[in-house]
Amino acid sequence: MELIASPEQDEIASSSASFLASTLPLPRTRELIGEPSNVDTSAWSKAAELGWFGLALPESRGGVGFGLADEAVLFREVGRSLAAGPFLSTVLGARVASFAGDGALAAEIIAGRRVGLGIPARDSVTADESVRGELQLLDAVDASLVLVALPHEAHLVAVDTLGTVTPVPCVDDTSRLAHATITGLAPVATVTADVDPVERRGNVLAAALLTGIAEATRDIAAEHAKSRVQFDRPIGVHQAVKHPCADMAVRAELSWAQTLFGAVAIDEDRDDAELQALSAKVVAADAAEHNAAATVQVLGGIGYTFEHDAHLYVKRAHVLGRVFGETRDGLSRLLLLPKAE
Amino acid sequence: MDLAFSKEENDFRDEVRTWLAENAPTERRPRFGTAMREFDLAWQRKQYEAGWAGIAWPVEYGGRGLSLTQQLIWYEEYAKLGMREIDARFVGLAHAGPTLMTRATPEQQAAHLPPILRGDVVWCQGFSEPAAGSDLASLRTRAVVDGDELVISGQKIWTSFAAIADWQELLVRTNTEVPKHKGITWVICDMHSPGIDVRPIKTMDGAEDFAEVFYDEVRVPLSNVVGGINNGWGVAMATLMFERGTAFTVQQVQLSSMVERLIDLARTTTNGRGRPMLDDEGLARSLARARADVAALRALTYVGISRNAHRDMPGPEGSMLKLQWAELHVQVQRLAIEILGPRSLALTPDAAGVWSEEYLASHADKIAGGTSEIQRNIIAERVLGLPR
Repeated sequence: MELIASPEQDEIASSSASFLASTLPLPRTRELIGEPSNVDTSAWSKAAELGWFGLALPESRGGVGFGLADEAVLFREVGRSLAAGPFLSTVLGARVASFAGDGALAAEIIAGRRVGLGIPARDSVTADESVRGELQLLDAVDASLVLVALPHEAHLVAVDTLGTVTPVPCVDDTSRLAHATITGLAPVATVTADVDPVERRGNVLAAALLTGIAEATRDIAAEHAKSRVQFDRPIGVHQAVKHPCADMAVRAELSWAQTLFGAVAIDEDRDDAELQALSAKVVAADAAEHNAAATVQVLGGIGYTFEHDAHLYVKRAHVLGRVFGETRDGLSRLLLLPKAE
Repeated sequence: MDLAFSKEENDFRDEVRTWLAENAPTERRPRFGTAMREFDLAWQRKQYEAGWAGIAWPVEYGGRGLSLTQQLIWYEEYAKLGMREIDARFVGLAHAGPTLMTRATPEQQAAHLPPILRGDVVWCQGFSEPAAGSDLASLRTRAVVDGDELVISGQKIWTSFAAIADWQELLVRTNTEVPKHKGITWVICDMHSPGIDVRPIKTMDGAEDFAEVFYDEVRVPLSNVVGGINNGWGVAMATLMFERGTAFTVQQVQLSSMVERLIDLARTTTNGRGRPMLDDEGLARSLARARADVAALRALTYVGISRNAHRDMPGPEGSMLKLQWAELHVQVQRLAIEILGPRSLALTPDAAGVWSEEYLASHADKIAGGTSEIQRNIIAERVLGLPR
C-alpha cells in the first residue's frame, strides 16, 4: 500500500503544469470568452502530441499505457489551470471507441479529434438507461461526436443524429453549452461497464479536475489573507478568515486523497471501485464548490468582480459538479452498494 | 501508487485476524477505576506475550520492527472486531512511547519503553492547566532545580486516567524570565510520588476517569527530564504531532464501521407508518454522505501513513485528520440519535443505550487533544502559512 505520488507521477504533474502555464495560461483562456469556441486549437494539438488523450489506454490500443492514477495526476493540473475544452469527454471518448472495437476512430480521438459531453436532464434517463428528452451538450462546439456516459453503458453519439442543436449561454464563461431534444440515442460506439467502466473513470477524472479547483482557490484565498491589510494587520490573523482557509485546506486534502483512492481502486479492479469513485466525486464536488465560494468571500468585493479570476473557479466547479450525475445521484447510488472492502 | 497489500502483508492480516478472533476479550470492559486498569493492562500483556505489542516499534525498544502498513493492518482488524479505542494504554503507546523514542536518552528509553509494551504501566498526560488550555505555553506549574532533583508545585487538569496511572508526561515551567515557549521542560513524573493529589472529575457521560492533579513540592530526579531543561516545548510539539498523526487509525476504522452499523439500523428501524427509516430521503442522503466522508478519511489516513514511511515524524497535516475525524464523529452520532428518536432518551445497557452513551461522549472529541479551533489555527498557520 502506498498512496502518494511516485517520482514519475510528480514528473507528470510538473511537466503538465508547466505546459499549461506556458501554452494555455488563464489569460489566454479568458481571451476566448465570448468567442464561439473556447478551445485554443494550437494548444489542443500540442496536448494531443503529448499523448494526453490516450494516456491511460494500453499501448496496444494506441495509448501511452499509464494508469488512471497517472491520468488523475494530469487532470488535477488541468483543473487547477482552468484550461478550457472537452478534455474529460475526449479522453473517455477514446476509450469508448477503442473498447467498442473501432480502432481507427480511437486513433483519431487520441490524435486530437474532439468529443463533447452529453449531459442528459434528470428526467431524460430511464431505469434501463435509455435516453430520451432533453440533452445538454458541453464543450461540443466544433465536435461531431459527444460522449454520453451512464453507470452501466457509455456511448459515442454523432451530433448530427441529435436533431436541432441550439447553442445557449453557459453559466461558465469558459465552457460552451448547447441544447438538443432527442427521441433516443443512435450510438456509433457503445461500451458496457464490465468491459470498461467509463462512467466510473469519468467520476474519478472529474474529481481530479475538481480537486485542482479546490486547491487553486485555497491558494488564492490564503495568499489574499496573508497580503491584504485592514486595521493595520493582515486579515488572515483573524480566525473568522483563518478558519475558513483551514477548512479549505482540509477539504482539498481529503478530495485529493479520495480521488487517488478511487483511481487506484479502478486500476486494481477492486470490488469497491464504484463506491470509491462515487465517493471521490461527491467529496471533490463539495470541496471545489465550497472552496471557490469561500474564496470569493475571503476576497471580498474584488472576488465578486468579473476582472478577478475567482468567479471562473466558482463557475467551472458548478459545471463539473453536474457531470456524470449530481451529488444527490451519487449519494443515492452510494447507499445501494456493498460497503467498502 | 497502490492499494494492494503484498503477500507478506496479507499473510500477516490472516495471522492477526485469527489471533484476535481467538484472544480478544469478549467481556464488557469495566468503565472505571482499578478494574478498568487491570482489564486494559491484561489485554496489553496478552498481546505482548503473543508478540503483537509494538508492531511498528523498533526492535531495540522491544517492538517487532515491522512496517507502519503492518501496524495499520493490526489496527484495522482490531477495530473491525468492535474493540474500543486504545483505552487507558493510549498515552503510553501513542504519546509518551513515540516521544521517548525520538527525544529521550538511551537510559530513559530502556527504563520506560519495555514496560509500556509489556502492559506493566499506565501513562497519563499532564499538559493542560486551569489557565493554560488552548494557550498551552502559558502553563505555570513551577519546577525549581534543587540538587539533582526538580521540585514541582502547581496544578494540571483534564488528565484522563490520572487516578490509575503510574507515570505522567508532565510539562512544567523551569524559567519565568524568558518568553513563555522557552521556559518549559518535559519531564517523566512518577504518579506515586509524595505530594501528588489526584481528584476525579465526573464528565457529562457519567465517566470518572478524568481528573485534576495537584503537585505540592513533588520531587522528580533531573535524570527524568527529556530533551533538556527549558527545551520542553519542542518535545511537547513532537508528542502532539504523534497524537494527531498516527494514533487515529483505530478511530478512523471504528467510524467506518459505525456508519455501516447506522445504515443497518436505519434499515431495520421503522417510522410511524411502518416503513424503514432508510426510506427517508434526507436521512438516506446524510448516511450516504457519511459513507463518502469516512471513505475520504480513510484515504487521507493512507496518505499519511505513506508519507510517514518516508520521514521520522508525522507532519502538521495530522491536525487535518484529527479535525475531520472529530467533526465527522459528532455528525455520525447525531445521525444515530435521529434514527433512534425517542428511544435515544434511555441510557439502558442495550444497543440504543450504547448509541446514546457514545453520543454524549462524542462531545469531547472536538475538545480533547487540541480543540477543533486550535487545529484550524495549526492548519492555517503551519500548512498555509497564514500569520499568527
